[in-house]
Amino acid sequence: MPLCNNKVADDGTSAQPLQEGKAMVDSLIKVVACYRHLASCVGGCTDNSSLRRDLRQTRERAQTLALSCKNHLTARLRDKTLPDAERKETELLWVAFSSCLELLHADMCKVFTTVKHFSLANNSAMVQTGIQGGTTEVAARALSMPDLQEAGDGSQTSSMEGQEQSQLEQEIAQVDRTLEDMELKVNVLRWTVEALGPQYADPVSTDSASLALLSIDEEAAQGFCRRSQMFAVMMLCGVAIFAMVLSVCVVFLV
Amino acid sequence: MTIRNVRDHGQRYRPRMACLKKVENVVLEMQDPKTGVKSQTQRLVITTIPHAITGEDIVAWIANRFKTDAAEARAMGTMMVAFGYIYPLQDHKRLILKPDTSLYRFQTPYFWPAQQWLVEDTDYAIYLAKRNIRKKGMLELYEQEQYNNLYKWMNHKWDFIVMQAKEQYRAGKERKKPDRVVFDCQERAYWVVHRPPPGTVSAMDYGHDRMVDPNMEEVKVCIMFIQQCIMRPRVKSSVSIGALIKYTTTYKEHDPFLHTCLPSSPWITDDVTYWTLNMPNVETPTKMRVERWTFSFGELLMDPRGRADFRLFLKKEFSGENLAFWEACEDLKWGAAETMKEKAQQIYKTFLARGAPRWINIDGKTMDITVKGLAHPHRYVLDAAQTHIYMLMKKDSYGRYLKSPVFKETQKKAVAPESHRFTRRPSLSPIILRQQEEEQKAKLAASGPVDITQLCRFTAPVPHLAVYTGICEAQSTASPGLMTLPNSAACPSPISVAIDSTPASERRFDGNGGPSSSHFPSIAEASVSEEEKQPPAPKSRMALSLSRLLRRGCNAPSVFASLSPKCAVASGGGKVQPLGVEPLAQPQPRRIANFFQIKVDIPPECRIYPIDSEDEEDDSADTARGGVKEIICPWETVTKQDGAG
Repeated sequence: MPLCNNKVADDGTSAQPLQEGKAMVDSLIKVVACYRHLASCVGGCTDNSSLRRDLRQTRERAQTLALSCKNHLTARLRDKTLPDAERKETELLWVAFSSCLELLHADMCKVFTTVKHFSLANNSAMVQTGIQGGTTEVAARALSMPDLQEAGDGSQTSSMEGQEQSQLEQEIAQVDRTLEDMELKVNVLRWTVEALGPQYADPVSTDSASLALLSIDEEAAQGFCRRSQMFAVMMLCGVAIFAMVLSVCVVFLV
Repeated sequence: MTIRNVRDHGQRYRPRMACLKKVENVVLEMQDPKTGVKSQTQRLVITTIPHAITGEDIVAWIANRFKTDAAEARAMGTMMVAFGYIYPLQDHKRLILKPDTSLYRFQTPYFWPAQQWLVEDTDYAIYLAKRNIRKKGMLELYEQEQYNNLYKWMNHKWDFIVMQAKEQYRAGKERKKPDRVVFDCQERAYWVVHRPPPGTVSAMDYGHDRMVDPNMEEVKVCIMFIQQCIMRPRVKSSVSIGALIKYTTTYKEHDPFLHTCLPSSPWITDDVTYWTLNMPNVETPTKMRVERWTFSFGELLMDPRGRADFRLFLKKEFSGENLAFWEACEDLKWGAAETMKEKAQQIYKTFLARGAPRWINIDGKTMDITVKGLAHPHRYVLDAAQTHIYMLMKKDSYGRYLKSPVFKETQKKAVAPESHRFTRRPSLSPIILRQQEEEQKAKLAASGPVDITQLCRFTAPVPHLAVYTGICEAQSTASPGLMTLPNSAACPSPISVAIDSTPASERRFDGNGGPSSSHFPSIAEASVSEEEKQPPAPKSRMALSLSRLLRRGCNAPSVFASLSPKCAVASGGGKVQPLGVEPLAQPQPRRIANFFQIKVDIPPECRIYPIDSEDEEDDSADTARGGVKEIICPWETVTKQDGAG
């Protein structure tokens, strides 16, 4: 993996290995989430070379993270001297990690098949999905880079695409192997692992409300929007007419 | 991590939905900016989102592209929506295509339906958690239930799910607002397709997954075997319906349910002419029967009379050995097991051996098979030869038979019975019965204490009555039997008498204020009316009264006179005993050929008999008293001895 980002690399000190593991898994989860967002744009109208590049980079990052995660967690869980409480937590992390990797695997497979059909080099028709903006912010988030990268190479030839495809295939196979490896090396009994967190995630921010409104009301509002507007307008007119009538009466009386 | 014990990398184990690929191609065609569906912008409260298409545009485009009508195009569009290639923007839960201005949008390829990957519950859980994060309490009831269930099942990765939901949500925030909205709509549409709300069915539902590769050899063999087990000979329905129609038109008139059988159905009119006319070996068959022979060769052979006719024809043509062989084979097939070997040998010697007396002509191959089989004879060893001869007869002799003079003669002589003019016995209502009984009583009272039953003495015996209900069975031990024997001295029980002859008697006695159909009560009534004069037992009463009547000196010749309705007058008016006048019906010309008719003529000794043997009367009376409860007609003893006559 050419991209080496040592932000989450293990520097070997035994400062809170549990925290480390947790941080690694968290970042992997983040990367996988971003990857999913990116993957959902493939084949759509915003599918271009930068998207593909973002995908590739995110994927590579995920791979690196996965590798380090795996090493770390495997080492910990194979450590017989680990106290029970820590073992439990590590097992939780292990389960999270493996689920994450599975998600990544599924997404990569989907991207693989989609890219086969929607080839940039051949200018195949992209689906008009309604997406307008790019996904560079998401990629930046995934790669934990504050700056937005400019679109590097504008076009992609079919040979490049072919190369990417084969590389993607290899990476998928690698993730597969990783998963199998994990199962062989460490035996975590799923039924013994219990979730610590709440069933319902707390709302992240209040900004969600507006988005929710946007989503829900867009349907209801479509119908009622115009009606409510017209109703308001009529009310205003009625009030205005009433006011005029009153003033006229007053004028006449006085 | 989910337990993966089935590595289904391919689609081998699931029924393939080949339509998905085709729909994808259509969807891609629709994207073309020039020839595709024209898109509009969707206006929301804050923003506008492009690439919205109306339902009617979709329908028009499909109709144009595939050259179909609007309904078909609409159905196809609905299918595309149901699969999830297009999702509605309004009313997102109903996946149908509305051919009006309602808006739709194309689904991104990431969310396209695919059979290669199972739709994971983990993803669903993440999606629901995300919805919950966005706004608490936004989940519908069924979603809530599913969420709770998933929480139970996937408890071990619930932290991950929640974390992933949060991260996905945050990553979504990085995108622009309209894109966020679109992505949310896409995801929601995806899950409506794959986790349909209750009451709806997912279009991706293809049934159960196979756990076994159906291309494996053992499985293939198993599948083939099972398919053959349930295989039925398949005939095109047009052919089979044609055959059915042909059959029904041919046999329409011969069906006893659909057509009245001539002369009448014995079950309805109690007249067994029909059965007698159609007996297996009757001399002259009915026309219908002969017609049946013309339907098919099988019909001719199955009917014994037909077979006899055919045999006659073959005899004239000197080719009777075919039929004889066929019959012999039938005998072998259906015969007893112990005689089978001998029979087979016999048949061989008679028909098949070279130089046999009745040698039949079968082809060499069949002969070979037969001879080989005869080494170890079994029931069906001559089947091949029999079939061959059957076909030979069918193709050759049958046709000639139908044109032959034998057949034509039979056809000419065939009897066509006319329809029975009988109406159904009307069952009298109790009111009318009662009235008739009253009239009876009145007549009895009016005409004096003459016992009606005494009349019976002078009349001929009535054993000709066909139906015998068996009431007098106990007494008539000598009488040979019940219904079917024509010469039986069937005890004409009052009821049977009544049943059989009511129509006739009603016809006749209308003028006389006819008897009721329930003769038994009338007899009882009559008997009762003389109770004071006679001992209580009705049978003995009848016997004694009869004897008294005899002593009054009604002479023998009047017996015949009594055969006519005049008897009623002779015996003192009106007290017409139906029993007594039952034999009066006898000589009247009846339309029905009563098979069980007994000659009316009473031999002379019978006439004298009643006068001579009073003690026998008493005997019979005694026995009668001791016997069953019904009225035993005293002349039964007469007929007992007369039965042979």
